[in-house]
Amino acid sequence: MHALLTGQKPDRIPVIPFAFGYTAKLAGLPIGDFYSDGKKCFWCQLMAADLHGYDATPMYGYASVGAWEFGGKIGFPYEVGHGAPYVIKHPIETEEDVDKIEIPDPKTAGANPIMMEVAKQANALGMPAIFQIGGFITYCGNAMEPARMLHWMIRKPELVHKFINKVEEYQKLVTDWFVDTFGAEKCMVFSGGAIESNKVISPKQYETFALPHEININKYIFSKGLHVVMMHPCADQNKNLPFYKQIREACGWKGKYVWNFGPETPIEKQIEAFGAHDIIAGNVDPPSFQTRSFDEVLMLCKDNIERGLKNPSGYILMPGCEMPPLAPPINVHAMMVAARKFGSFG
Amino acid sequence: MKEEILNGLAEAVVSGDTEKAEKLAKDALANGIDPYEAIMEGCSKGMSIVSQKYECGDMYVPEILCSAEAMNIAIEILKPHIKVDPTAVPKKIIIGVTKGDVHEIGKNLVKLMMEAAGFKVVDLGRDVPTEKFVEAVKTENADVCAMSALMTTSMIFMPEIISQVKKAKPNVITMVGGGPLSLDTAKQYGADGYAKDASLAVKVTKELLSRGA
Repeated sequence: MHALLTGQKPDRIPVIPFAFGYTAKLAGLPIGDFYSDGKKCFWCQLMAADLHGYDATPMYGYASVGAWEFGGKIGFPYEVGHGAPYVIKHPIETEEDVDKIEIPDPKTAGANPIMMEVAKQANALGMPAIFQIGGFITYCGNAMEPARMLHWMIRKPELVHKFINKVEEYQKLVTDWFVDTFGAEKCMVFSGGAIESNKVISPKQYETFALPHEININKYIFSKGLHVVMMHPCADQNKNLPFYKQIREACGWKGKYVWNFGPETPIEKQIEAFGAHDIIAGNVDPPSFQTRSFDEVLMLCKDNIERGLKNPSGYILMPGCEMPPLAPPINVHAMMVAARKFGSFG
Repeated sequence: MKEEILNGLAEAVVSGDTEKAEKLAKDALANGIDPYEAIMEGCSKGMSIVSQKYECGDMYVPEILCSAEAMNIAIEILKPHIKVDPTAVPKKIIIGVTKGDVHEIGKNLVKLMMEAAGFKVVDLGRDVPTEKFVEAVKTENADVCAMSALMTTSMIFMPEIISQVKKAKPNVITMVGGGPLSLDTAKQYGADGYAKDASLAVKVTKELLSRGA
């Protein structure tokens, strides 16, 4: 990984299975423990990486981010069928709530203390301290309830803009906290969101509501000395791809970004947009790890590797979203087999 | 005049114009247009256009929600005036998000489009256990049982739901959908039908019903 991030050629392609709940299942722990306990979260990920031999750094992040952080309530995935934290109460339920809601203290907001615990454990072993920001539409949707936000985007856009401005200010505080705690050179950013998907919003809506803030926060992290960002535009964001390129252009292509798009975005399009500067990661179809055989997964990985290796700035084998928690371990192992068989360099 | 009002209703739904939808629904009644016809040839026709536009990427969920808002305003005005035809029994669909999953935008879009297409939809909500699907199929004598999941951890309940509802009512049509699903997975699970988005869900359901799947 270090070789790749510093522009050198690694001995084989790195493998990041994007495994969260899966690592808890592997360790015999409930997925709820992974998300509610920073120490267990770190340990699960560390042990899974050790067992499989892959290259991921433990981190904390979740798709429902934004609701708890701004004063709502989430549930941890302890029940059968649960795979990730879910929102129980959204902090914004009325138009008046948008005005009333305050920018929280990052040190105590929502899951941040858990995220910080994982980052501290990682830092103690010389790994990057990773924190989650970006994904403004996702943050907003989780805080407002997605249907309410989507409806307001047309009927009351000023409310959505007002809250997203607060989210941007909050994310700057999160950035400051991590940089102050660890130093910029020891931090890494994870940014992603699923509600930005073009199955939900139009590219015009992404451009209007998210893009200015994404540019701002990305410029901000560079101003603080950070330089490695893992971007996960989740689900089908093909129509947003030009805007992600615009974010990089606005930042002068500084630093090193790792792009992990959903399986819907062809690697070739990613290479065309980002290949001159950034690493392409992924994007094997995630449900296939759960539903297909070892041989089928191996072939999917092979195909992804052969296409991804054409990226001049480097490639990481990754699923296009979180590894299904119920994926059989042998299919996660298929990634390592594929990396050694099809992704080794001399 | 009638055509103008019906077309206007459809346009109001497509554009999400709640004021126009309200006005034209009242105009329809004032002009003696059959309220059921106004709903089907005005409102539902508009939602059908919305569905096509969503399928080809010309409309997105925010616009669809506004279209639904306009449609519902018109329907609320027209519905009380419908003369109930006891021989007309719309096909009934049970729909829900499987156990452990709380993501319901997709399911709600399917529900919206199914209702606009004339189906009677019984919405079980989200995080629905297997037995609730089975009970609903029996109680409602449903024609279709539709399941949605966005999480790989909750889609695993679908095979059991399909098996149980088929035992309860062998000729019920089972439909599955949601992000982690695919046609292959749907076949593995034993579902009769799969659709990758809400507008296709209506088409596939109609096709399966007409075939008597």
